[in-house]
Amino acid sequence: MQFRYFALLGLVGLLIIPKIGQARPVSYPGGITAMFMNNGDVNSAHVHYSPTAKYSLGYKYEHWRDRDFNMHALQLNNLIKRWNKKETQANFYIKSGVGVAHSLDDSVTDKNDFAAYTGLALDWESRRFFTSYENRYTDAGDIDDFFMQSARVGVAPYIGDYGDLHTWLMLEVEHSPKSDDKFTITPLVRMFKGVHLVEGGVSNRGDVMFNYVVRY
Amino acid sequence: MKKFILTFLALTLLSPVTAFAQNAGNTIYVDVNGLVCDFCARAVEKVFNEEESVEDVKVDLNTKVITISFVADKELSEEKIRELITDSGYDVVAVRSAEDG
Repeated sequence: MQFRYFALLGLVGLLIIPKIGQARPVSYPGGITAMFMNNGDVNSAHVHYSPTAKYSLGYKYEHWRDRDFNMHALQLNNLIKRWNKKETQANFYIKSGVGVAHSLDDSVTDKNDFAAYTGLALDWESRRFFTSYENRYTDAGDIDDFFMQSARVGVAPYIGDYGDLHTWLMLEVEHSPKSDDKFTITPLVRMFKGVHLVEGGVSNRGDVMFNYVVRY
Repeated sequence: MKKFILTFLALTLLSPVTAFAQNAGNTIYVDVNGLVCDFCARAVEKVFNEEESVEDVKVDLNTKVITISFVADKELSEEKIRELITDSGYDVVAVRSAEDG
């Protein structure tokens, strides 16, 4: 278990250090984004600051209901590569975090443990179609460790102009190998206007998904 | 009297044209790749609106053109415009003035 801690810490360190080394004077004042995600497994809040369009750094709180633990983490999102084309854009990110997990399970004696996670995220979109994939491995010491991945496809029923209300119909498939229900399928609607984005859906397990993102 | 009225009319009619011409000369059009998402394109507005010389920014997702209007007697260099758009996360294809069409 200790080896995994150091391996994860090393990985996170490798991801962070080059960015610090590459840090340059900030010409882009950056944006602050607040994300609130809720589904059948987890409630989370993530606030991050983007000094450049290449990375963001922020605080993330997660409450894993069935897994019986909370986590407070410092999260770094790195844009590894962006492909800008005339009609499409694709992105490759690595998201990593380190922090503290707190068990809510009465049978656990050591309530707090070091926690870290890392994973990659890929997306591709045009104004009509959207697809994405992301995964994450989380190690919360003696409290829990798990891998999960998810993919989405989406289509915009109409093409809105800049400033309009934009609507996407999406389907998300989540795979959690260690869960009782290994696959969760959630049809959802994404809507955004200006700096506000909301998503809502109900999974095949009957769980409600509700996400809200605001960008300043 | 007739001469005065004609002069007044000519000035009245020509004034907006002159103003438009000045404004058009103070506007830059940038063709951009990757401009597909309204939510993400807010970054463009954000970075340009923080520049004192910028009066207005318009994003057109259909044509993939960013239109930047400058306050009178002020502008940004092409290099700075390219830098701000790159920092917003997009790739510049071309920077055009009104004269370029």
